[in-house]
Amino acid sequence: MKAVKNTTYLRRNWQLYALLMLPVIYFLIFKYGPMYGVQIAFKEFNFFEGIAGSEWVGLDIFREVFQNNDFFKALRNTLLLNLLDLIISFPAPLILAIMLYELRIIWFKKFAQTILYVPHFISWVIIGGIVLQVFGTESGFINNLLTGMGLDAIPFLSNKHYWLITYLLVGVWQSAGWGTILYLAALTGINKELFEAAEVDGAGRFKKIFHISLPGIKTTIATLLIINLGNMISIGFDRPFIVGNVAVRDYSEVLSTFVYRVGIESGQISLATAVGLFQALVGLIFLLGANYASKKLADESIL
Amino acid sequence: MTTRGSKKWASPAIAVLMASTMLLSACSSKEDTASGNAGSGSPEPATLKVEVFDRGNTPSGYTISDSYLTRLVQERFGKPNNIDVEFVPVPRSEEIQKLNVLMASKSEVPDIVFTYDSGTFNRYAEQGGLTDLTELIDEYAPNLKKFLGEDTLAYGQYNGKQFALPGRRLVLGKYAGYVRQDWLDKLGLPAPTNTEELYTTLKAFKEQDPGNTGGKVIPFGVSLAAAQYEPLIWSFIKPLTDEQRYTLTQQLGSSDYPALLPGFEDALKFMNKLYNEGLMSKDFGLDKDKKQLWQSLQNGLVGFYTEDAGEPYFTWNDFYENLQTNVPGASITPVDTFTNAAGEHAKPAYAPNAMYVMIPKSSSNAVAALKYLDWMASDTNLFDIQFGVENENYTLENGVPVVKPDATSEITDRLYNFGDIAVIVNGKFAGDDAKNEAAYIAQTPEKFQADMKKSVEISNVDTIQPVRFGHPIEAEAKYGTALADKFQEIIVKMTMIKPEQFESTYDSMIKDYMASGGQAILDERTAAYKEMTSK
Amino acid sequence: MSERASNRIFDILNVLIIIVVILVCLLPFVHIIAISLSSSRPIMSGLVTFFPREFTFEAYTKVFSDMSMIRSLGFTIMLTILATVLSMAMTIAVAYSLSKKELRGRKWFMLIIVVTMFFSGGIIPDYILIRNLHLLDTVWALVLPGLISPFYMIILISFFNSIPKSLEEAAEIDGTTHLGTLFRVILPLSLPSLATLSLFYAVGRWNGFQDALMYINRPDLYPLQLKLYQMIQNNQVSELMQQEGLGMAQLMPESLKAASVVFSTVPILIVYPFLQRYFISGMMAGAVKG
Repeated sequence: MKAVKNTTYLRRNWQLYALLMLPVIYFLIFKYGPMYGVQIAFKEFNFFEGIAGSEWVGLDIFREVFQNNDFFKALRNTLLLNLLDLIISFPAPLILAIMLYELRIIWFKKFAQTILYVPHFISWVIIGGIVLQVFGTESGFINNLLTGMGLDAIPFLSNKHYWLITYLLVGVWQSAGWGTILYLAALTGINKELFEAAEVDGAGRFKKIFHISLPGIKTTIATLLIINLGNMISIGFDRPFIVGNVAVRDYSEVLSTFVYRVGIESGQISLATAVGLFQALVGLIFLLGANYASKKLADESIL
Repeated sequence: MTTRGSKKWASPAIAVLMASTMLLSACSSKEDTASGNAGSGSPEPATLKVEVFDRGNTPSGYTISDSYLTRLVQERFGKPNNIDVEFVPVPRSEEIQKLNVLMASKSEVPDIVFTYDSGTFNRYAEQGGLTDLTELIDEYAPNLKKFLGEDTLAYGQYNGKQFALPGRRLVLGKYAGYVRQDWLDKLGLPAPTNTEELYTTLKAFKEQDPGNTGGKVIPFGVSLAAAQYEPLIWSFIKPLTDEQRYTLTQQLGSSDYPALLPGFEDALKFMNKLYNEGLMSKDFGLDKDKKQLWQSLQNGLVGFYTEDAGEPYFTWNDFYENLQTNVPGASITPVDTFTNAAGEHAKPAYAPNAMYVMIPKSSSNAVAALKYLDWMASDTNLFDIQFGVENENYTLENGVPVVKPDATSEITDRLYNFGDIAVIVNGKFAGDDAKNEAAYIAQTPEKFQADMKKSVEISNVDTIQPVRFGHPIEAEAKYGTALADKFQEIIVKMTMIKPEQFESTYDSMIKDYMASGGQAILDERTAAYKEMTSK
Repeated sequence: MSERASNRIFDILNVLIIIVVILVCLLPFVHIIAISLSSSRPIMSGLVTFFPREFTFEAYTKVFSDMSMIRSLGFTIMLTILATVLSMAMTIAVAYSLSKKELRGRKWFMLIIVVTMFFSGGIIPDYILIRNLHLLDTVWALVLPGLISPFYMIILISFFNSIPKSLEEAAEIDGTTHLGTLFRVILPLSLPSLATLSLFYAVGRWNGFQDALMYINRPDLYPLQLKLYQMIQNNQVSELMQQEGLGMAQLMPESLKAASVVFSTVPILIVYPFLQRYFISGMMAGAVKG
């Protein structure tokens, strides 16, 4: 009985498995193939003995990491910056996408979209130079304006509290336009008839946004939110490294920069791997947790 | 869907995939052998792989691994010895990361590799990844041994064995100060010759604004680069006993750091005072690459600064020319200002070594590699690599090669990358010390050469020599990079902090520094010193 | 206030805000263009903001006469197309299968893939793998390791899931196979999302250079961004310059850097307008009706 069921299931669905074959091979070779490298976190890595030949040290490396004050500072800052990003930088592209979607003039809409994503293409080193020219205390563009008006200069980059604002602004500027693309693609999926019907009912703009547009892209928002939550403990290297500086290291030192300075630059591969493993575990738990919560609360899940 | 069902389906699927995995790798390896054999010629020459830095500045018509100089190497060294010299580019900014990976791969690592980073060299030596050259060098590289000399070679030893051949550094002086001569003249002030006079001068620059900058004047230009703060800080270090010198100095990366030396706190206090009195660049903590400083200098806003000796006279960014265009009549003079308690113009100098040139243990070409380096130190080979062709790239004046200023770019491009090919030396080697210095000065335009000469002289006055133990301090290799960053953090924070918070913050920052590895280095150095003196 | 008036105010405000945002996004790029067209002195003195000073085309002449730049551009375009096409094919395949809730083993496949978003072996095992597959110094080293992004896959699954099930079911009742449904129903309805993900893959490949940094030694296989990165980094490492001493430093003119930035950015920037038609009008409405 069961066997028959299985055969019909297979006959009907073998194509799906065929489609999965190459991708799964890909993940096995290129992602799982090198995965033996995680054992470096439990070994004192010697470049010349290789991963297999290096000496096991148990949890020594983790002990060293968890005894390091800078690690906890970096961990705290990673969570802090990511949380601020979640509050400020996560909704920004959504709002922007809705605004673009509401534009009536087609050529302007197209033009605006093309321009908004330009910042995504400027490399961080160059952004770093521009940030200094805009936010610098001594000769920055904004402070020149302020002092020109007889106001005091604001240390956007060298005071750690102001720096948080600068960090967020740069992040929004760099990624919001790029982030709109996904939402715009989702918005095109909404049935136009819904808007027409709402118009007949005399619904205002905000009503349409909140009752049609936003619900229409609910899945996309939830998907991105879940993935963002999964990434709460990992953070890109470039933005904190480039926008940050020694004067604000109390806030700008995050896990990625910590690993770079303490692990990679000093050749302490074991330490870098241990931090990475810790991040991976926590990240996976966060993601599964967020997915579970989202399933229960909003009936949206990615798994 | 039940879990049971899914398990059943997952495992056969994975088995199939594993099989295809092998198939895929088999295919790709075939493809590679086909392409890999191309390009070899006559009776099986050996291949010698040599690392070369890629800085992304290859001139048109060349590639990083095929240029005038690589052809010269092949012609003069490769052909006679039946060796194919292959240059393997390593990106300059990620050199350590890539070198680590290459080393770990064994098969891909070049036969000759190099780095400036002493921590990386020590790590490789400690982990047993380098060829011991102690005897090989006598046998195969006598010219090189003579060229480098005992002093320099000592830097490549690890526990008495020669694991690296350190490049020989020719210019050992580091820093000089520069002051706006036209501002001094306008105010009727003499050039400052000690720290106190400098302070008076800076004050005068601030209050009287001789450059009419409209309040934008920066009496003392500072960036986050060592050249801007090291001369000041080291001049505050008190006279040291030998024991203090050995135990309290911390070598982080390639330089000695004064974080634990007596007088360091006074240096920071002085910087703090300058900063809070508005005498110093406000944004110096943000100026990682000197760009802000250069900008202010060229706009004629800076009154005084310290720099790598002679930097203003090199023409790569036309700084001095630009200053004089932007501010007609502006001129700068080299000065030796910061004085220590003994009245000396103490300032750090370089150790006589440069890059650590290494031959990995996995290399089967150690002899050929040494022969290549020996070849470079022989006859006129090094000279030709660094200076090019006579009467085209340079002319000889009293035996000193002087770069022809009117050479076409086609001719100057020949020397592209010469510094990274001539790894056995740092600086241009013209024959002997006097000629080297003359050639060094002759690199700058004629009108600046008098000031250039003076800069070099200043940089060699009362220099503080780096401290060296017979064997490396392991904690320095481990914590060095992180501590060097902490050191900068201390400087920036202690300078910018309000004077009344100075004491308490200083104590907590030093405490943090000690906890992050400073103490470990101190302990190891103290033990090493005991061992050294007991012998 | 009437509905129409408030709509009008909304539109005006909306346009005004967008204009401000456009300026903020555009001006830094204008600044880079201005630098690429200026002479060295005004650049180094910080005098160039939005307009070129001492106008010169020199930097562009240099970039365009450098054959290695042109070749690198050609290679990068080829690489980007190859990587994007393969990535899209693989991502569509995996996303379509995994969008089927009834697929047995789906959860496990998902888990296998999602784990790779977090865990990785690290740079050294990666390198050794690429070497063992004999992919070093081949274009495949830049294509295969990043073939499927789990993140984009998840997004595509969610897009596929948003297509009304009724359409698929109708096809299935007609006896169409899964592949038939994919090509005849799902893909035509997913053009906006396919365009989006193609753009993401293409831009990711175009901007990526870290892999080339490790896997590529042959200058003819340097992607444009790698050349650009080295050019820019070259001037950044002041600490390194100090180790090297004065005679060795080789600075790259700022204008040349800026011109190279423009040269390597514009080609990928103009891709977007071509894809835009997929975002402007909703395809879905028509499709459902028809």
